[in-house]
Amino acid sequence: MNDDHLISVQKLNKHYNGGAIKALNGVSLDIDKGEVVVIIGPSGSGKSTLLRSLNLLEVPTSGSIFFEGNDITSKGIDINKFRQKMGMVFQHFNLFPHLSIIDNMTLAPRKLLGMSREDAEKEALDLLEKVALKDRAHAYPSQLSGGQKQRIAIVRALAMKPDVLLFDEPTSALDPEMVGEVLDVMKDLARDGMTMAVVTHEMGFAREVGDRIIFMDEGRIIVQGTPDEIFNHTDNERLKTFLAKVL
Amino acid sequence: MYLYQLSIREWWTDLKDTFILNFIADDRYMLLLKGLGNTFLVTLGATLLGILLGVIVALVRSTYDKTITGMHPGPGKFILSFFNKISSMYLTVIRGTPVLVQLMIAYFVIFAPWAKHKTLIAIIAFGINSGAYVAEIIRSGIMSIDNGQFEAGRSLGFNYAQTLIYIIIPQAFKNVLPALANEFIVLIKETSVSCYIGLHDLTKGGEIIRSRTYTAFMPLLAVALIYLVIVMFFSRLVTLLERRLRNSER
Repeated sequence: MNDDHLISVQKLNKHYNGGAIKALNGVSLDIDKGEVVVIIGPSGSGKSTLLRSLNLLEVPTSGSIFFEGNDITSKGIDINKFRQKMGMVFQHFNLFPHLSIIDNMTLAPRKLLGMSREDAEKEALDLLEKVALKDRAHAYPSQLSGGQKQRIAIVRALAMKPDVLLFDEPTSALDPEMVGEVLDVMKDLARDGMTMAVVTHEMGFAREVGDRIIFMDEGRIIVQGTPDEIFNHTDNERLKTFLAKVL
Repeated sequence: MYLYQLSIREWWTDLKDTFILNFIADDRYMLLLKGLGNTFLVTLGATLLGILLGVIVALVRSTYDKTITGMHPGPGKFILSFFNKISSMYLTVIRGTPVLVQLMIAYFVIFAPWAKHKTLIAIIAFGINSGAYVAEIIRSGIMSIDNGQFEAGRSLGFNYAQTLIYIIIPQAFKNVLPALANEFIVLIKETSVSCYIGLHDLTKGGEIIRSRTYTAFMPLLAVALIYLVIVMFFSRLVTLLERRLRNSER
């Protein structure tokens, strides 16, 4: 339908308790290739729900989501195929504790893309080198710091060569001194042209890296625009109140 | 002094005679050995059947718990709900009635026409019984894994079954292995009630000797000791296993 957008969300609703709670209330949104979209808003505004709907970890009540021209909310579609192209990074890392770092990274490429162990490990080591963690390839997740875990989680998602990366509050569970190293990796990715959708409370990151900022409240997109428009020239009262609290 | 020595000697001779009477004469120890073999056979068979049933029921129940709220109405949802209902009925009935009653129902009612296959019937009855407990152990193991592990697996593109196989089960199995081993130990002792259907297990072996020699002390003590040694052996194995699992946690 909308072939020119990488992701196109149309009139998305997510209701709980038969409509009593509207986590998402008619959200429409386009994300283009190479774009970095940062979603901000107070807690409970629906920003995580929106992000998790993009790869159907949350199943929307109604509305549709087009990914590379395919309606992934339509019945009978194999969502697993599309999820391979949509990497996700979680607040709590969600590394697999029973597997070493290299196995965390090669499990999906080997089982889903049919790569040989040698090829998958070679690519994983290249990725690890980029995030300066090559020497930890055979460590286990419990031996790493929070910042290291999140960097591993990012390259684990990258190992599937996704077309878009979804970040669900990637730095919220980190000690303050580890936030920087994770944001640096994300900045590098943005610079390399990776399409990214990021839910975050890091306004500095949003301002610096975001191509477009989306402000959500009560399940709706209230305003969206460039960082300059959002942070410096807004006249929206709700956004102003929010920014006054977090900046 | 002399009297005391005599009584000790008498006591010793008496003990020796009873021992010979109970275990050596007519090769009566063979009754215990044969019973021990059957006890192992029933326990092993029931364990395998129990794990098979338990895994199936645990998968049905945890899949239902994890996915039913997000499922669209349709045949898939109906089938899953149906099997979940069957599974929870199975758990309620089996865990709500004594194993001895279940064994007798199996032997005297359900499998009455095939009554000569006592060992097989015991394996089926104890297997079905054990399966209910194994199911709850495995289900608790699956449910104890953080939901983020499921989401991480699904977000990489694994389907539900692949996520279970590659990510959830290996972690869950590690967590429940000690509990499963304990279930096995409990099962060994539970099979002693199968002498109610006349199965020649270890307990029955002791009972046969007792009825032939009219002495209760030695055969029953021997039976108890053998159970104790087996249970201590497997308990020790479980402890070693737990230690190894803890060490591999890193």
